[in-house]
Amino acid sequence: MRGILLLTRAEINRLRRNKRYLIFTVGLPVILYLIFAKAANTTIYGVNFSAYYMVAMATFGAFAGTLNGNSIRISEERKVGWIRQLRLTPLPANAYVIAKILTSMATTIPSIVIVFLLGRFYGHVQLPAWQWLVIGVIIWLGSTIFAALAVAVGYRYPPDQAQPITIALYFVFATLGGIWYPFTGVLGNISKATPTFEAVNISVDVIGNKAVPAYLAIGLVAWLAIFSALAVLSVRSMAESV
Amino acid sequence: MNHSGTGVSFENVSKHYGSLKAVDGLNLELRAGETVALLGPNGAGKSTSLDMLLALRKPTSGTIRMFGQDPYHAVKSGAVGAMLQSGGLMPEVTVRELVTLVAGLHPRPIAVDTTLRAAGIESVADQRVDRLSGGQTQRVRFALAIAGECDLIVLDEPTAAMDVETRQRFWASMKDEVAEGKTLLFATHYLEEADQAADRILVINRGRLLADGSPEDIKKHAGAKRMSFRLSGATEPFLLGLPGVVSVETRHDLVRIQTSDSDATLYAVFDAGYRPAEIEVGSLGLEQAFLAITAEDDRAASAEPATAS
Repeated sequence: MRGILLLTRAEINRLRRNKRYLIFTVGLPVILYLIFAKAANTTIYGVNFSAYYMVAMATFGAFAGTLNGNSIRISEERKVGWIRQLRLTPLPANAYVIAKILTSMATTIPSIVIVFLLGRFYGHVQLPAWQWLVIGVIIWLGSTIFAALAVAVGYRYPPDQAQPITIALYFVFATLGGIWYPFTGVLGNISKATPTFEAVNISVDVIGNKAVPAYLAIGLVAWLAIFSALAVLSVRSMAESV
Repeated sequence: MNHSGTGVSFENVSKHYGSLKAVDGLNLELRAGETVALLGPNGAGKSTSLDMLLALRKPTSGTIRMFGQDPYHAVKSGAVGAMLQSGGLMPEVTVRELVTLVAGLHPRPIAVDTTLRAAGIESVADQRVDRLSGGQTQRVRFALAIAGECDLIVLDEPTAAMDVETRQRFWASMKDEVAEGKTLLFATHYLEEADQAADRILVINRGRLLADGSPEDIKKHAGAKRMSFRLSGATEPFLLGLPGVVSVETRHDLVRIQTSDSDATLYAVFDAGYRPAEIEVGSLGLEQAFLAITAEDDRAASAEPATAS
């Protein structure tokens, strides 16, 4: 366990120096929020636009950072042989993947907090303390399930393939998830099945003091199961070729 | 930390990829404290064997034991320090940070400054690992292999990217490690390196152990002497029948012979009534011995196409 924590700490230090990662997790959601939070004076899903957009951007930063920050990096680290090198140390075989997931969980917290602070003081979102905490945890857990998807992609594909696959996944889950704007009709129904939509809408329902529909929570758990299964398959099938 | 008399053993170990037999029934034992060189041409099964020893690949059949444990548990208990050609470094961190991390993963870590000095990388300790030259990168890999106290060091082509001076420094620091009683197994292409550094040489070809012995034994095994003379009238079957002869090459009246016993060969030529001219006798280098051993094996393989891969 101590080894996993040491590796996680090293990973966090690396990410802090990585500009690309900071742009995805913090820069982009902050800029978008500053531009659009006050652009519409409507309500969406029963809450103020600025509150909805805060939840959407916090989810966006956390999920995009987790996905982009891990899949291509894992793929590159496999290519240069770092994963192989780590397997020659006393660190247990699965420690690398666990450290990546822990790193994502740790590094998405500040990005969510920054967007929340922006929502509170720029977007004038007023919530009781327990709601801030609950939506923070939902967005945090809902986004970090993408670490498992990133492991699945990064372990299986070389960097030149992992990159376009990651970008495609990123756009599909951001757009279909209703992060940019909510869908209605057929697309709206497809949208409901995405983990990004589920994380955003559980939070929005909490803010709107509505009962959270069970399918949203079930959906998130199902996605976690799917992504985890894909990750395990990737890691197993590549066990002899890292 | 050595739990049994033997350090490392391969018992009838094979690794097959479909019909390709990368390693084919390999048997060998390394005794604790030995320095052993693994020689073989490209594709002989060196890297696959080391990968299996280090638990990166699983044998198709057979058993590998290391200090009384299976390879995975031996590696995870910190018994092994390894440096592979295919091993890479974590990008975006400094050399010192990386060595500190890997030392921290060991149950018996060595002080980071000691490791940096032993690997000769103090001067680049604060540089980022992705901005180093090939030789420096190689030395950082070596530092990671010796970052913890271990019983066995495994090195795959350790000096591949090093210039002559660095290579000498490398072997000097390696000798210090071995002097502490560690077992060292290294694969190399540089035969003079094996000749100078190793107590024992293992030659493998087509996944099997061909020769096992001291550098002198290996040379003897291959037919350690070469001789040449001029002689017309001697037939190749006659020359091949001489005592000690391993191989014969004739061009016009010039005869080149590889033999395990040059004296006996030459006396037999005289006894047959010949008087050869311009006699020259010399020793084979390890490189020639090695080529002779593997070439002989390849000839045997092509004679029986069923086992050729």
